[in-house]
Amino acid sequence: MIPVLEVRSLTGPAGAPGIFDVTMTCLRGRTTVVLGPIHSGKSTVMRHVVGLERAARGSVVVDGETFDATGETEDRLRRMRTRIGCVFPGAALISRLGAVENVELPLLEHTTASAAEARKAATHLMTEVGLHIDPEMLPGQLDRAVQRRVALARALALRPPILMLDEPTQGLDAHSAAELDRTLERLQAGQGFGTLIFSHDPRYAFGRADQIFVMAGGRIVESGTPESVRNSASEVVSRLLDRRGAA
Amino acid sequence: MTSIFVPSADDGEQSTGSTASFSAREGGRFLDRWELLVTASYWVAWLSFSRRTAMGTGIAREFDQLGMGALRLIVPASLLVGIITTFQVASQLSQFGAQALSVQAIGWFAARELGPLVVALLVVTRSASGIAGELASMRANGEIDALRAMGLNPVKYLVAPKLAALLIAVPGLTILADALIVLGGWLGSIAILDVSTRFYFDQFRSAFELRDLFIGLIKSLCFAYMIALIACDEGLSVEAHFQSIGTATSRAVVLTVLGVLAADTVINAMFYFIPVFA
Repeated sequence: MIPVLEVRSLTGPAGAPGIFDVTMTCLRGRTTVVLGPIHSGKSTVMRHVVGLERAARGSVVVDGETFDATGETEDRLRRMRTRIGCVFPGAALISRLGAVENVELPLLEHTTASAAEARKAATHLMTEVGLHIDPEMLPGQLDRAVQRRVALARALALRPPILMLDEPTQGLDAHSAAELDRTLERLQAGQGFGTLIFSHDPRYAFGRADQIFVMAGGRIVESGTPESVRNSASEVVSRLLDRRGAA
Repeated sequence: MTSIFVPSADDGEQSTGSTASFSAREGGRFLDRWELLVTASYWVAWLSFSRRTAMGTGIAREFDQLGMGALRLIVPASLLVGIITTFQVASQLSQFGAQALSVQAIGWFAARELGPLVVALLVVTRSASGIAGELASMRANGEIDALRAMGLNPVKYLVAPKLAALLIAVPGLTILADALIVLGGWLGSIAILDVSTRFYFDQFRSAFELRDLFIGLIKSLCFAYMIALIACDEGLSVEAHFQSIGTATSRAVVLTVLGVLAADTVINAMFYFIPVFA
């Protein structure tokens, strides 16, 4: 399988590191889950991967191109970011823009599409992720599950080879979480992007992961297939699984 | 284009011209003030030629909220300022038996000083906290990071539309306020000075110069810049949590009022001391 994302020896943020020597790989068409308790450094890894934080050491390889996590030019960062779709916790939609405007933003910024073409593509993307709402509705008028789908459509707007989701089902009821997960699975099967999910929930992780990395204290303490991680003797893994009752 | 994000001080490293942008620590300033000024101005110029939907909609919304929304406040306030000015000046000049000069005072001050300053301060009280609060809550909510993660420039999408809207709205409102202050002055004059309408407008015409209106509009453009950039800077530079929103809004109002008054002082001093401007 071809790796679409490689994180190599990532330590950061510079000055006050919270993650140490994180190395992981995400494969095309596969789902990788980074599992760990709250404040274990999962979100910090995601922020480093898209260049929101400057690392003290390490690099990120996106779709074969290596980016220095300790500092890159604005143009290279921009190019990297067009190849990574991100869904942040709570969706993080732009509250002043309507749902369809949120989705068309990356298209208007990074493609040569005209306003009409971008609107058409954004409307199509919204349908693809299962949204049947008034496209002009503001994020504040939408419920959490719908907001999350709008964020998913926005993240996939540029057809990135890798999609990262930070706590994708946080705050959703079980039904909405399962529906979102099914949509994600369908889209991944159709488009073939690799998925990197950061979650604290073992039930969610073991449900759909092809590969799991367990984080604690800013370090990767265990990795492997769901089966091997489940059987791991690691104290952190045991604690995580026992506490959630998923073992 | 150079980076708009600079490392925070505790990174221990400074961004150079060629490398950039991995910053925005959990808290504190992540945007340099001067770069905010330069990039916001650049994107305002860019917006003038852009036909992109989301951007156009953004400016229209900001104009509606920051400009048109202030009308209800500025119309009565300007009328009252005109009346108050007439009362104040007339009561001082009455000691010298020259109440009629208060009409000329309106002509001297309305367009050059009162209109721009009243509009700027009213827009500050109404909008500075709103702008700072909105951006601070977007920062706390992760919206700013989401924009950056998509390779979108927050200054372009969040600051430039506000600046563009204020650069249109504040001078427009200033012209309206000038007219209403003159109208308020007329109301005050016929009520307390017992002068005719013809006399009032004759006196006003003799005191008013088109140059005053021009200077007032230059001031209003500077004030629009101050309001937009200080309020946006306060909103964007807070720590990324909800408790910081209150701090951002109150700091924005205080600093914007001081900024507007300082800019007014500098411009007035320039016109007073430098002969070419006088």
